[in-house]
Amino acid sequence: MTARRYVTCGILTLAMALFLTAGALAGNDRSGTANAPATATTAAASGKQDEAALRIEGERRFRANCGRCHQAPHKFPPRMMATIIRHMRVRATLTDEDMRLILQYMTQ
Amino acid sequence: MRLDLEGTSGTSRKKPGVRGSRIRPIGITRAASQMAMRCLAVLCLLGIPAVACAQSEPLDFDNIKPVPVFSAGVGFITAFQGGTPNLDPLVSPVILVPLGQNWLIESRDTFESDLAPPPDGIGYKGVLEKEVDYLQVDYIANPYLTVTVGRFLTPFGIFNERLYPIWIRDLQSDPLILPIATGPSGAQTGAMLRGGFSITPRVEMNYATYFSTLSTINRIDSDRDAGFRTGLFFPGPRVEIGGSFQHLLQDDHSNAFGFHFEWQPPSTSLDLRAEYARSHNGSGYWIEPAYKLTNAPIWRHELRHVQLVGRMQQFFTGTVVDDDLPVLNTNMFEFGMNYYFRDDIRFVSSYGRQFATGGNENVWTLGLTYRVALPLGHGDVQ
Repeated sequence: MTARRYVTCGILTLAMALFLTAGALAGNDRSGTANAPATATTAAASGKQDEAALRIEGERRFRANCGRCHQAPHKFPPRMMATIIRHMRVRATLTDEDMRLILQYMTQ
Repeated sequence: MRLDLEGTSGTSRKKPGVRGSRIRPIGITRAASQMAMRCLAVLCLLGIPAVACAQSEPLDFDNIKPVPVFSAGVGFITAFQGGTPNLDPLVSPVILVPLGQNWLIESRDTFESDLAPPPDGIGYKGVLEKEVDYLQVDYIANPYLTVTVGRFLTPFGIFNERLYPIWIRDLQSDPLILPIATGPSGAQTGAMLRGGFSITPRVEMNYATYFSTLSTINRIDSDRDAGFRTGLFFPGPRVEIGGSFQHLLQDDHSNAFGFHFEWQPPSTSLDLRAEYARSHNGSGYWIEPAYKLTNAPIWRHELRHVQLVGRMQQFFTGTVVDDDLPVLNTNMFEFGMNYYFRDDIRFVSSYGRQFATGGNENVWTLGLTYRVALPLGHGDVQ
């Protein structure tokens, strides 16, 4: 009886995971953010990106790194954010470039 | 048509001012009026460049002087395990003190209590538990290396170091395998080298390697061991895969290892996380999908604050019993729903069923979590 219950719960979990994965592949609410970075990444490599491209790239880095663990917080004052980003550089092993772009994005 | 109407209304609003018919009756001459207009024009000419200069002056991001920060995770969780209620208030303050451009002192403590009904069944009783989660000094040596000394969170897997805070975790219960290699405190006392860097534009690597010394001091206890964790992150699909290893340098000199996986598809609000860990104390895994209903077809305004979470996990006992791990093979399924009032305040709830050879039981949790962050000084650039 216990094993049957466990198997049932396991099947339900897998079904939910499949459902969510299907939703992930079908969803498009973040597609705008996902498509924009390709241009921004190229611009970053060439060192010629303008402020808007930096902001877009900063948002992408924020979502890719910070958003992996927690919800996006509201923005903080620059000096406070400089401390938080240093903390997150250590905690989340952010790269040097990630840190600069996220700091710029979160203080604008 | 609309443009015509706006133009007409705009003209009609200007008429009184142009004629000046409402100014003269109160005794102001035409010369005075012209002087006032000139003064206003001069003020505008002086003021506009100043405002424009203030708005366009960019921040020098490399030279922003950081300020100490106080942050805290606060929560009150009510848990029902096997029908027994437990009240768990928790406060976890974090202090960040930056020094210069490359140094950071950071600490996190936890004050919590597990209030449960005493044997006589009257009221709730418990003791206040205090723990130094970490108290470390970080030195950012270069873009590839950060040196950490002090008491730090054990970088084994992803839950202990990244997902443990009460305001971050999606389900309030700990994974069954969490104590493997991290112990009851989840922290070590010693030194650590860590960092992250891009290998190619599409691949980033992160690593952490550490050595911990034996400490039996209450609240900062740790084992003598060495270990490392490394991971590869692919920013495009937002996938991270990695592994951890730890070797105990005392007692039976045992090894522990584990793997972790994270996927956050860019196109949706899904978070999929999984971990596997194994040591002589046991082995097991957990899989946790979490989905925020930001794109629900109905009631979008309300449902975008709702997050659905599931977790399935199994634990298998090892050859050596560990007091922090289940003593029997255990399977557990949990389903939760969180509601975000704001990004820092949320209501959390979950239901789980734990299956073990010694008996099954339900696990319910209800609670509120809150995260506060304050600068200890002027937060804005002067």
